[in-house]
Amino acid sequence: MTRMTRRTLLAATAALALASGAAAAQDWPSQPVHLVVGFPAGSSPDTLARLIAEPLAERLGQPVIVENKPGAGGGIGVQTVAAATGGHTFGTTINGPLTTSPRLSPELGYNVAEDIAPVSLIATSPLVLGVNAETGPADLEAFIAAAAAGPEAIAYGSVGQGSGAHLTAELFADAAGVEMLHVPYTAYAEVTTAIVGGEVDAGFMAPSAAQPLVEAGTMRILGTTSPEPSPLAPDAPVLAGAAGLPADFSAELWNAFIAPAGTDPAVIERLNTEVNAILADPAVAERLLGMGWKAEGGTPEELAARIEADTALWGAVIDRIDAKAE
Amino acid sequence: MFAMDGIAAGLGVALTPSVLLYSLLGVCLGNFIGVLPGIGAMAAIALLLPITYHIGPEAAIAMLAGVYYGAQYGGAVASILLRLPGTPQSAVTVLDGYPMARKGRAGLALFASMISSFIGGMLGIAVLALLAPVLAGWATAFGAADYAAMMVLGLVAASTIGAGAPLKALAMVVLGLILGTVGTDVNSGAQRFIFGTPQLMDGINLVALAMGLFGVAEVIGNIRAADRQGTPEPMGFRQMLPRPGEMRTLIAPSLRGTAVGSFFGVLPGTGSTLSSFMAYAVERRVSRTPERFGEGAVEGVAGPEAANNAAAITAFVPTLTLGIPGDPIMALMLGAMVIHGIQPGPMMLEAQPAMFWGLVISFGIGNLILLILNVPLISIWVSMLRIPFHWLYPAIIVFVCLGVYSVRGSSFDVLAVAVIGAAGYALALARFSPALLLLGFVLGPLIETNLRRAMLVGRGDPMIFLERPISAIFVAATVALLGWTAWSAWKARRRG
Repeated sequence: MTRMTRRTLLAATAALALASGAAAAQDWPSQPVHLVVGFPAGSSPDTLARLIAEPLAERLGQPVIVENKPGAGGGIGVQTVAAATGGHTFGTTINGPLTTSPRLSPELGYNVAEDIAPVSLIATSPLVLGVNAETGPADLEAFIAAAAAGPEAIAYGSVGQGSGAHLTAELFADAAGVEMLHVPYTAYAEVTTAIVGGEVDAGFMAPSAAQPLVEAGTMRILGTTSPEPSPLAPDAPVLAGAAGLPADFSAELWNAFIAPAGTDPAVIERLNTEVNAILADPAVAERLLGMGWKAEGGTPEELAARIEADTALWGAVIDRIDAKAE
Repeated sequence: MFAMDGIAAGLGVALTPSVLLYSLLGVCLGNFIGVLPGIGAMAAIALLLPITYHIGPEAAIAMLAGVYYGAQYGGAVASILLRLPGTPQSAVTVLDGYPMARKGRAGLALFASMISSFIGGMLGIAVLALLAPVLAGWATAFGAADYAAMMVLGLVAASTIGAGAPLKALAMVVLGLILGTVGTDVNSGAQRFIFGTPQLMDGINLVALAMGLFGVAEVIGNIRAADRQGTPEPMGFRQMLPRPGEMRTLIAPSLRGTAVGSFFGVLPGTGSTLSSFMAYAVERRVSRTPERFGEGAVEGVAGPEAANNAAAITAFVPTLTLGIPGDPIMALMLGAMVIHGIQPGPMMLEAQPAMFWGLVISFGIGNLILLILNVPLISIWVSMLRIPFHWLYPAIIVFVCLGVYSVRGSSFDVLAVAVIGAAGYALALARFSPALLLLGFVLGPLIETNLRRAMLVGRGDPMIFLERPISAIFVAATVALLGWTAWSAWKARRRG
């Protein structure tokens, strides 16, 4: 009898909890949704967020307000999401703040695994290896041969210490068995100008940054870091497996939709469904492509796995850079 | 050929009713925003950005650009009347504009700033239109060593712009340089002097520093001296016109300012704040009576105002042709272009002639509107001074907070303004020049980044500064300037 009562009670409590959870998810969103972006208005991550925000508002029946919290390479934005409460604040971010920032900038104070709930991957972009069209090597073999001449024979530009462009170049150098001189800049346009002006020899960059110079005939693309030819750089040969590079050589930039940890799983599921539906719209995919992003989508678990894999991949690269610095 | 066809196509674009309308909207809004102390073009452009998704690219850029150069016109007003720069670019206008206002010559100072802004803007447009393709190649030729050498020359040349004791001036420049080191080290990624505060990782916010040093510090100072109710007489249109002969004294400084502004505008990453400082330094150097500077020299208003307007326009050269924005506002505008599928780059002028010439022509129309708009408004701006202080100052503090918050949505920056304001007041009491601190702060990170980048590229060999012709010229000029200064000081001492 007592056992029965207890079991009934347990069942009743569970049912009640389920029901209230479902009710909460059904009521959601009960107020405007905030979408935090860690970059200033008008930047590439901001443009991407706004592209998602507009159809998302229609689908959720609530306004979606894009909030710019720039700083620390997108870290302030993720920090804001991590600390958010109330169930109506989410964010979109590039890969860095979810994979390398917690290690490179511990003062940000968040832990991705504990404080962030992945929602969905949004889009990816490869990096392309660009060189000066007039003075640079003709192909990848020639490039690696030139780099192998000495530890600082080739200088490459990146968009900053610890940036995707920097870590990708170091990953490449390790895979090719060469050492190159790193010259940090702050934006891809500065790197491309430095390559065209002859200040540095090469650089890994977003295909959209290289495209105008390739068209002008001042820059040549030697390869792309994506495992397959990318629609963003259709003419660029795949680096993986070429010129003695490992067949699994791969590095991608990405953008993801995230929520604070502890968000109702039903809400995560709803957001995942909506984001994937938005990305499935060919018009959205085409606009993303025009901005230099390939629409992706996927489950929260897939995003979690990607965060974990990239954290390990780039963590190992950072270990090597740190070891070299000491 | 290129230009003729382009101009025809551009006229077609610029005279479209929607482009005209949005351009007009932009310049009026920018002008107004620029007048309000604290709120700069950045805030207005960020707010307008979502609208640009729904209008054509030409109208969008014409509007955003209108806000940008409109704010340069308006920024001088509060600098001159209240010693509160409306934008960081017009901080240097305070140095002589405010003393002029206190001597009852506010009308002339405002008139000078409007006319020189117009001259700078219009000539800047001519530079943009005629020389953009040439200058784009020229900017590519500038390497890190050249930038570093040029900035050092700028620092040496401008270090004497404040009136007062040279040691105090030096102290302020150095303090500015030190504050400029806060944030992430570009080469190692190490965090410098952030004391565990992620908000400082990108350095101290320039707007927070400028508004704290000038705006908040000035308000605190005036609360103490609240009896200074010396409101200027209401002014008629005639009174603010220059006296005979004064008009001529504006032309040469405006032309020199335009040259300085265009030079810095074309070079990516140097920013229009720097150009106004450099124009001021040039005016002081070429003047036969440098002792008048800081006491109300009209050249000290005309030169910098022409420079920042010329720089605002010519900054489109690197933005459009290299994709490198000169400052955060240009970066926003670049974003607006990318949204519309316009990829800046070396091919942009050839691929989008109608867009380019449309912008050039709409800038011309915008500058004309600003001049027509502002000259009659001068008497209205001056009447701002008659607003009782107990209304004006709280309002200013509110605008400053709003403006600083809007830059990156950071409440930390608002607190920073309060702290910087208190420190700025202490500096003002001790008669230190905040303009020099700001100069050091703007130049420091530029010098450091480029110097270290040049050393990296040169594989650690400092000879790179002498081997590159451009940088060698700047190094020689810096040495010459230092030598000349030392020699004239020595001569003055022997005579005295």
